Amino acid sequence: MSGPTVPAPTTTTAGRARKLINGRIASLFLILALAIGITAAVNPRFLGGSGLTDLLIGSAVIGILAVGLTPVVIARHIDLSIASTTGLSAYVTLSIVVPNGWGLWQSFAIGAGIGLLVGTVNGLLVAGLNIPSLVVTLGTLSIVRGILYFYSDAGRFTPDVIPPSLIAMGLDTILDIPIIFWITLGFALFAAWWMRYTPVGRDLYAIGSNPPAAQLVGINIFQRTLLAFMWSGLMAGIAGVLYIGQFAFVDASAFINQELAVVTAVVVGGVNIFGGSGTIIGALLGALLIRVIAGGLVAVGVDPFWQQAVNGVLLITAIGLDRILALRSQAKIQRIREDRVEEQSWRE
Amino acid sequence: MTGLLMRGADKPKSVRRFTWDVTIYLILAAVLLVGFAINPEFGTAFNFSAILANMGEIMLIAMPMTLLIISGEIDLSVASIVGLSGVVFGYTYYFGGVPIAVAAALGILTGALCGALNGFLVAKLALGSLAVTIATLALFRGFATAILGNESVAEYPEAWTNFGYDTIGTSFIPRTFPLIVTFILLFAVLAHLTSFGRRVYGIGQNVEAARFAAISVTTYKWILFILTGTMSGVAGIVYTLRFSTAQWDNAIGLELAVISVVLLGGVSIFGGIGSIWGVVGAALLFGTLEALFNLQGISPNVFTVVTGVLLISAVVIPVALRRLNQAREFREGAKTRIPVDSSTGSRPKEPSGGS
Repeated sequence: MSGPTVPAPTTTTAGRARKLINGRIASLFLILALAIGITAAVNPRFLGGSGLTDLLIGSAVIGILAVGLTPVVIARHIDLSIASTTGLSAYVTLSIVVPNGWGLWQSFAIGAGIGLLVGTVNGLLVAGLNIPSLVVTLGTLSIVRGILYFYSDAGRFTPDVIPPSLIAMGLDTILDIPIIFWITLGFALFAAWWMRYTPVGRDLYAIGSNPPAAQLVGINIFQRTLLAFMWSGLMAGIAGVLYIGQFAFVDASAFINQELAVVTAVVVGGVNIFGGSGTIIGALLGALLIRVIAGGLVAVGVDPFWQQAVNGVLLITAIGLDRILALRSQAKIQRIREDRVEEQSWRE
Repeated sequence: MTGLLMRGADKPKSVRRFTWDVTIYLILAAVLLVGFAINPEFGTAFNFSAILANMGEIMLIAMPMTLLIISGEIDLSVASIVGLSGVVFGYTYYFGGVPIAVAAALGILTGALCGALNGFLVAKLALGSLAVTIATLALFRGFATAILGNESVAEYPEAWTNFGYDTIGTSFIPRTFPLIVTFILLFAVLAHLTSFGRRVYGIGQNVEAARFAAISVTTYKWILFILTGTMSGVAGIVYTLRFSTAQWDNAIGLELAVISVVLLGGVSIFGGIGSIWGVVGAALLFGTLEALFNLQGISPNVFTVVTGVLLISAVVIPVALRRLNQAREFREGAKTRIPVDSSTGSRPKEPSGGS
């Protein structure tokens, strides 16, 4: 909406749009605080002891995946293969690192490489051949998981063989914040800057808002879309390494069927599923929020079997809210445009 | 059969579609031949019985899904509906104490209601079927979990479970087969011989034009979602009886197989193109391949990979063929007349324009 290609006079529009987005983040903070507050009031143990640390550890993997998925969704695409990629990265990384006696840095390098590979394949299929991303990533979801099953051959990694540095990463904290959450936060801040202040980020917003218009103003749609999918794959690869730290147990079904939880986090975090708007920080808050609600339901005594149904309701609510907000801002922009046309004709 | 097929939109397309359908059946024949040649167990009545029974639920859901995708929408929640309707069926029968026929009817009704909710959100509130059905995928599965938890219901009257996995008399034909064939024929008639079907194609080809032609797009899409939900409900009952188990994770991930089969059957993911016969052929091909993999002792995980590859190639191949055709037409056109449309070939958009 507020891309670099927008001429100067529209700054008021951009300003209003930004205000709307900021409003969304502020309200997310409010809901998050409310959810934590209510749960803590009903069950003080929710925040007591290591409650908050556990909360942050539990949201690190979904959080980093949400950070990865956001640029893809903003560009009006979807990546459903991320959970399979996370599992593949976790398992393959350990299968290389453990026999060689390697540690942290090698793990991240291998995980990142695997993620980039899957992301590049997705990106080339989507952007190069113009195939809907839903179909491509549904396909790679099962291909990647199938390869993992085949590769693992029913094997698994238990805490006694996993490198201690990886397990420590999942347990230790710096300034009371778990290390794996610091990593997620670091990538989130980088992506927030990337999406907001660089041409690539702004182009992704433009592509998601109006693909034909983006093509007309000369945006390299192929390259930008490919980059978005590579980013999402990279984050899924890193998420795999964080997963090892969080669970210290990896087999072929690692993180299976979790892709929709990530989509829920992103959409609840205010990223429009139809592309064009949303923020990285919002998506990260969304991941925290669904984690708080999940923990909160258990803390206030709701049967955990309701968890998935609650996620579904959250997702539908968020999609509906997006739709209403989109219609309202569209009407607003329309009104501003009409005002400006009037003003111009008056000047002439 | 060809008579039905040729009732396509414009000529060149129906010719191309005709060849795609035949190709599917040719590949099926080839796979059958290979099967007969390499594995003596492949040609047994037992094996064919298993293929037909295994494809039952996929076939039942793929029929309405074909129409839904032709209309330009999609439903990812079908497998969750299968699970939920099975759970409702098992729960009301076992814990609710209602007669089993009523329980089955309640299960199918649940499916219809799920479809109605999808239809309401997509058609009425205009919320994009992809996003909505990802959400209801979680929602319906969540209901199934909430109702039965980790329990399962595995006790049904023998007459009913026999329907699920027995064959007719001494033949190899599963008892569910007549039901499935009936639904295939019903949907083939609905898609290819009624004005309803023609309008669904019309909506998929060009939704604006359909609106101008006074087609109530909202009503049509709503009906299609309810049909898909209802058929998923029927599939849920069949699935529960076939394995004589109702539990929350019944048929998890089945949506992937259904959509792969529909797209492999030549239905365009952009809407407007496809036929019931192509999808039936694709389902048979899918089931036969799976059986052959099983018999050859190849791990089912390899088949997971094959499913994914089939899904992607089902979309890539038509796009690639269209590009090749366009390039050829462009070259031939350049010889005889001045090329008019310079954008052709650079960006193949959805076929709705009727190139």
